[in-house]
Amino acid sequence: MAVSAATRLEARRALEPLPLLEGVQDDGTINKTLLDYVWRKPGKGWLLLVGLGLAGTGLLTLAVVVTVAKGIGMWGNNIPVAWAFGIINFVWWIGIGHAGTLISAILLLFQQKWRTSINRFAEAMTLFAVLQAALFPVLHTGRPWFAIYWLFPYPSTNRIWPQFKSPLMWDVFAVSTYFITSLLFWYLGLIPDLAALRDSSTSRWMRRIYGILSFGWRGSARHWHHYKIAYLLLAGLATPLVLSVHTIVSYDFAVSVVPGWHETIFPPYFVAGAVFSGFAMVMTLMVPARRFLRLKHVVTARHLEAMCKIMLATSLIVGYGYLLEHFLSWYSGNPYDFYQYANRRGILYGPFKSAAQDPYIPIFWLMVFCNVVVPSIFWSKWGRTNVYVMWIAAIFINIGMWCERFVIVVISLHRDYLPSNWALYKPTWVDLSLLFGTICFFSLLFLLFLKFLPAVAVQEVKELRHELQQAHERHEIPDFSQELVHVTELEAGEEDKR
Amino acid sequence: MKRLVLAEFAEPEPMVEAARKLRDSGREGLDAYSPYPVHGIDDALKLPRSKVPLVALIAGLSGAAGGYVLQWWTNAVDYELNVANRPPHAWPTNIPVTFESGVLLCALTLFFGSLFYFFGLPRTYHPVFEAEEFRSASLDKFWISAEMKDGEDPRDLERTLLELGARRVTHVEGEE
Repeated sequence: MAVSAATRLEARRALEPLPLLEGVQDDGTINKTLLDYVWRKPGKGWLLLVGLGLAGTGLLTLAVVVTVAKGIGMWGNNIPVAWAFGIINFVWWIGIGHAGTLISAILLLFQQKWRTSINRFAEAMTLFAVLQAALFPVLHTGRPWFAIYWLFPYPSTNRIWPQFKSPLMWDVFAVSTYFITSLLFWYLGLIPDLAALRDSSTSRWMRRIYGILSFGWRGSARHWHHYKIAYLLLAGLATPLVLSVHTIVSYDFAVSVVPGWHETIFPPYFVAGAVFSGFAMVMTLMVPARRFLRLKHVVTARHLEAMCKIMLATSLIVGYGYLLEHFLSWYSGNPYDFYQYANRRGILYGPFKSAAQDPYIPIFWLMVFCNVVVPSIFWSKWGRTNVYVMWIAAIFINIGMWCERFVIVVISLHRDYLPSNWALYKPTWVDLSLLFGTICFFSLLFLLFLKFLPAVAVQEVKELRHELQQAHERHEIPDFSQELVHVTELEAGEEDKR
Repeated sequence: MKRLVLAEFAEPEPMVEAARKLRDSGREGLDAYSPYPVHGIDDALKLPRSKVPLVALIAGLSGAAGGYVLQWWTNAVDYELNVANRPPHAWPTNIPVTFESGVLLCALTLFFGSLFYFFGLPRTYHPVFEAEEFRSASLDKFWISAEMKDGEDPRDLERTLLELGARRVTHVEGEE
């Protein structure tokens, strides 16, 4: 019976989960692969993308200047569609910003080890997405320099205070709390890695810069003692926070009486949609980044597959939300509500048969295609393991989630109660430049992050590697686990030699 | 002026064991340094329970109370706002901002409280940084530092640390 150890390893592969860390790793190789690219010269591709990002940011600046100088009239907004691109883009970006904290906080509390390789990346994405989101409501106020006393409760000479019964005020508190908490959580995780960059730097200036950024962290056990608990508590706080933020964003709609907005299903449906679009954006950025930064040994097929599964699950929740909305519009017996959804679908019957065809109907069906049909590819193992398939699907989901917000904001508003009040909405070049410009600005910030900071939480990966090694030595992980392929492959090699 | 003996270990477990033995032999002023939190070192150094959760709880409750009082005082006391004839003090509408204020103050306190108070940072200078070899403490090695008493010879302690499994030892001097 001469079955070699290597063959046995091959045979167990089909049944076991894929490994979290690939190859033979130790702290030295982890440092080398995850920190060294910060010291390398930037590549041509990176410089080209930064150039494009800067150009797009220039366009964004132009659009912002035009909006502020000439006023909101430069946008396509009208009455009844008073909330258009400004709110669509706000909700879209805020939704994208949900994956970061979800991955970092909720998965940390559930002790999902696969979060370790992608949390830093996703948290950075969250911060940059929330920055883009914040731009829109501020500009939408028309005169942002006045917005301070409308929004922040400070004793101004007006002697009047903000109106706290309004969901728009809740939104201000939720989004600013979310941004600050995410920033602090991200930076707290970054401090030990900044110290590692300081200590692996080769030039005096870099050592100084990263030394200041790390606040002089020295990895003392007395500090780790507090650090561990502070990090865990921040995660515990961020978990209800991430759920509260999109819930409150959905109140902006659900608390009003507009048909298509006034729905009790909005909070959970918005949160699921946010997680869905956030994971899609992480996937969109991660697939190229892991290739160009050579991160395939820490961001393995297992991580990508887990993200695909979450996208599939949230896509089902979102799809259920769509179905239920349409059911309730009929079940409520409210003709305005029923008309609203019939109009979105473009399937009109009964007393509404005479309604004119609506030009926005294809956007509704594009949304259904992108958010419900496309993600069903993840039911198959092939879809969850082929990076090209998942990348293209993720881009479709990003588009689909933008369409969802268009459907909610524009389609609901443009035909409400009074037919004499109806109007169509068309975005202007300023609207389109703001959307495109924020995508470029977001990419620019992300590219700078990828160049100057470690994109993977190095300290946590080292800890995970040590834990896996320890568990193996104590025989707590069964020997056939793929987690240990790197350990057992070494042993197998020795066995074969004998 | 502070004098420290530093010892480098290749793996975390011998470092924890060495710290435990030094602590049990009655040595004061010990500290350990590692690239990631090491299991068992809190116990080996007999560190007291962290007060971070207590501080966070107090901050969170104060933030929530502050947020609620702010809404009640501004909208129901100082300048009564009548919105669709709801009562000026309609508590259910105050819940979201109360929650967010609690989280905000708690998060700020956790971060800045840890940084300034519990870690004693920002502090870019520390005597341990006098040793160039100490750069490995944030990368892939595990270090112990022990304070020297006045007139004590560092070589005795260095020998003990080598016996406990240290790969290399050194001593540094620096302003506290």
